Amino acid sequence: MFNIIKPGLKTTIQDNGRYGFYHLGVPPSGAADKFSYRIGNILLGNPLDSAALEMTLLGPVIEVEKSTVISVTGAPARVLLNQKEIPMWETVKVVEGDLLEFSYHSSKAGVYTYLCVSGGFSLPEVLGSRSAYLLSDFEGYLGRRLAAGDEVAVSEPLPGAFKRAGISLPDMHIPAFSNHVNVRAVMGLTSDLITDEGVTGCLNSEWTTQMESDRVALRMKGAIVPSEEFPPPFGSGGGFASVVDMAYPIGAILVPNEEEIIVLLNDATSGGGFISLGTVISMDLDLIAQARPLTTIRFHAVTIDQALVARRERKKKLALISEMLG
Amino acid sequence: MFTLPKTRFHFSGDEFIVAEISREMNAESNFKALAITNEVRNRNIPGVIEVYPANASYLVRYDPDVVSPYDLLDYLKDIDITKSDIGQLNFQSKMIEVPVWYDDPVSAEFSRRFSDRNPKDAADVTDFEYTMQLNGYRDKERFIEAHSKYPHLVTMLGFNPGLTWSYPLGPAKEEVIHALKYASPRTDTPKGALGIGGVFSVIYPLSSPGSYQLIGASAVPVYDQKQQLSDFKSSIILVRPGDLWKFKSVDEKEFVAIKKQVEEKSYRYKVKEVAFSAEDYVRSGRSYIENMMEGF
Repeated sequence: MFNIIKPGLKTTIQDNGRYGFYHLGVPPSGAADKFSYRIGNILLGNPLDSAALEMTLLGPVIEVEKSTVISVTGAPARVLLNQKEIPMWETVKVVEGDLLEFSYHSSKAGVYTYLCVSGGFSLPEVLGSRSAYLLSDFEGYLGRRLAAGDEVAVSEPLPGAFKRAGISLPDMHIPAFSNHVNVRAVMGLTSDLITDEGVTGCLNSEWTTQMESDRVALRMKGAIVPSEEFPPPFGSGGGFASVVDMAYPIGAILVPNEEEIIVLLNDATSGGGFISLGTVISMDLDLIAQARPLTTIRFHAVTIDQALVARRERKKKLALISEMLG
Repeated sequence: MFTLPKTRFHFSGDEFIVAEISREMNAESNFKALAITNEVRNRNIPGVIEVYPANASYLVRYDPDVVSPYDLLDYLKDIDITKSDIGQLNFQSKMIEVPVWYDDPVSAEFSRRFSDRNPKDAADVTDFEYTMQLNGYRDKERFIEAHSKYPHLVTMLGFNPGLTWSYPLGPAKEEVIHALKYASPRTDTPKGALGIGGVFSVIYPLSSPGSYQLIGASAVPVYDQKQQLSDFKSSIILVRPGDLWKFKSVDEKEFVAIKKQVEEKSYRYKVKEVAFSAEDYVRSGRSYIENMMEGF
């Protein structure tokens, strides 16, 4: 067991996500920053979909009740083991009775930090996944954030786990966390309903992320996105630039009004009637999810072919890291 | 011969294809979305992760490491052609009765609480009255009759788990009850509320944000994650796209009595199996629906 002494701002259990239920309105959920989450599991030699703790800005205080090996990845955090600072992106042995404390890091960038443990956190799956989805009524820890007094079960350490203590990710592979983020998007979807000036204006402008962002969506302001004057399609209900409600891709860049855009993340509302400029490519969802409020965002249009090249590069990099860390 | 417009396909990011069958809502586009997505699902295509029918469109999520986006697009276009003939779009359906207390006090209270987010002019008008007036009705009972007379085709699920969009079958296009959405979404909606936005009626499965006008309350659940009622034994959701529901107006007393049965887990839904002919519906419209309703 890992006992939650203080829960932190918002700590949830996440894995690689929940698939096959989006058409029922159940979003994929899963780690907001897949790259960091995956490295955490690679460091430990875990199955790549092992459940981890996802901590938001201010992390928890945890009492360790089982000797095992952990790794901490993602947004920079100050991590104390029995009041002594330990490194991130490195496997660390912990023993029964240890106290783990997570607190703010001076770098002031990034949102989500991951705590992985050998074999993963162990709890019953809901619809094939161990990812919490806070807008659901899923049983137990998968329907809510963790609270003080919660006891989260961990697997038995994997064979050879303790021999892996001290393995670290070379600095050159640690992602940069910044308050200026560039993201790539495939433009299109219902963007023909936005004026050409609106589309280019969106790409040429700097957007600033807003406070009310969360795992569902990142909201931002900064430019004006005028819509074409078009008669509302029958069924849409009219209002600002609305279309007949449709299913939204994860990463969709929605335009709810002229002054705001919303990028849907892994806990997305699966459908609605906002027009959409395009879709952020899957690799860059990590970057956008890690953007703190008041981060500046620039969008860059890419083709599907460019998106596939970026995807192959990411895959190669992860394969290289996997091989390197054995 | 009846032909559907040409579908517009979009690559969305590196993992999604969205197909817009039509920009305007009509039942035929939904029949086609349902037929295509059923076909894609049945073919178990390696690399296809999500298949999601929507009101007049559909979405496919895929893993481009397994299936090439271009090959998948061509494949979907081929399926699209085979499903462009209305004779190919028949489906098996079930009609389910949903008892609703229209113009209930909880919906009225939420209407007032969030009236500043609603495009309506007068803050003291409830969402029910606002929607009734927008559709040209002055008499409450006639408005309820107009909304509950015809079955609604379940056209899409989503927004959040278990929320169901539905579109009335039977009324002429200009008779379809419609509503504006809130200008800024409510931060809360009562569980079980019946809402209207555009031409769609929805029942909110859980308390959640929302932007549809609230006109009533369902006495029965449409989503049961714990699968406690016997009609949820095989699924956490009551209806699937292609099913029909028929709203039935109930008063406060009936509403409370049904709620009690639901709490005691003894409630059984009124259900009728229907072999739905898209062809007959396109040909005969209202009279086909009226025949289907006989004895229900």
